[in-house]
Amino acid sequence: MASLPKIPEYKAEWAEGEAGRWGIAIDMDLCTGCQACVAACSMENNVPFVGEHDAGYGRQMAWIRVERLWEGEYPEVKATPFQPVMCQQCGAAPCEAVCPVFATVHSQAEQINLQVYNRCVGTRYCANNCPYVARVFNWADYSNYPEPLANQFNPDVTVRRRGVMEKCTFCIQRIHKATDQAKAEGREVRDGEVQPACAQACPADAIVFGRLDDPESKVSKLSKDKRAIKLLEDLGTQPRVTYLKGGYHGNLG
Amino acid sequence: MQRVFELLKKKEIQLLLLIAFMVILSGGAWALYQTQIPPEQPIQFPHDIHVQLQIQCLYCHPGAQRQASAGLPTQQKCWACHGQLRKYWDPAAPVPLEQWPVELQKLAGYVERNEPIPWVPVYIVPDHVHFNHRPHIAAGFACEQCHGDMSKQKVAELQQTINMGWCITCHQQNSVNDPQKRIKLIDCGTCHY
Repeated sequence: MASLPKIPEYKAEWAEGEAGRWGIAIDMDLCTGCQACVAACSMENNVPFVGEHDAGYGRQMAWIRVERLWEGEYPEVKATPFQPVMCQQCGAAPCEAVCPVFATVHSQAEQINLQVYNRCVGTRYCANNCPYVARVFNWADYSNYPEPLANQFNPDVTVRRRGVMEKCTFCIQRIHKATDQAKAEGREVRDGEVQPACAQACPADAIVFGRLDDPESKVSKLSKDKRAIKLLEDLGTQPRVTYLKGGYHGNLG
Repeated sequence: MQRVFELLKKKEIQLLLLIAFMVILSGGAWALYQTQIPPEQPIQFPHDIHVQLQIQCLYCHPGAQRQASAGLPTQQKCWACHGQLRKYWDPAAPVPLEQWPVELQKLAGYVERNEPIPWVPVYIVPDHVHFNHRPHIAAGFACEQCHGDMSKQKVAELQQTINMGWCITCHQQNSVNDPQKRIKLIDCGTCHY
């Protein structure tokens, strides 16, 4: 009997409580909701603007959004703090298991969640299975900018075309650049050497990026803080993004 | 249907169909040929002469050592040598520009107009692939392992079909004994992001 073709392993190998490699800590008490991270992310990662019409259909393509909810019944509503939400780079990601073409894979090397654009056929199963609504879909060739505007594209990042799912990559191009530089100099990546665009742009330094497997790094100390919470923790997705929430925003609500 | 069969029996129609078939076939062959020839370069740069003169690859393509792209030389880099070649610039008997080789005249033109030479890259990867020269040079690979023996080529030609199977095969061969290295080398995120 002919042997069946070997189907590649789609599920990430993860252990319960595993720290992961790269992580973000976001201090919601510091975030002012200025949207600088959203703008910086779009510039760094060639995220196109969809325009008013398509935004009306809910086709915005920002990889990070500043979320704000209201708690309680009107008129006794209370504002929750600003909460920048990007892909949580889950250790056990719900999006990975449902992709029929293995376009959304778990990077074994960087321990993050990847979208392989040239494999993606646009079934959008992953976006439907993402509890954080972190994935965005290219509904049209929004990146067909007229000539002088096309010069703003970052050459380190793919310009995605229509019909492709995309999402936050933790600015993997910057991770690669820093690890490459560190390797050439024969050392480990220093804490704070890699900064994704959102963390770099944040004027309040609310977003901290770093190594989670290094117990001395700033982000792993923050993620063990007593204010630390994870989004939808009970789903068991093991998100790598930690939110710090302590203070009560009395003056806002 | 009957009328079509009757038409097909006519000599003229058969000849017409044959001509149409030949046109389509030659068009396909021409298109295939276009993908196999090296691109037209602004200057017919002879790699073989320069390699035989013991000029290092990294002298003109220094980016390979420190960044993703190896880089193609500007007119200043070419002129740094060619501007002082004794053969043409001998103060006793300077050779007038009109008697220089044609390709060098083109180079002199670019230098005079102070515009970069619009070289056409030969080894290209699609936008969704991010190739980085630096780790390959750091790992001790010689240029000719991928780019072929440049001392036998004049204008740069594609010596190796660049596709993912070729990349992955080499990555697997070079990480047989190192599982940690293999994880990194066959990870999707190493090239696609």
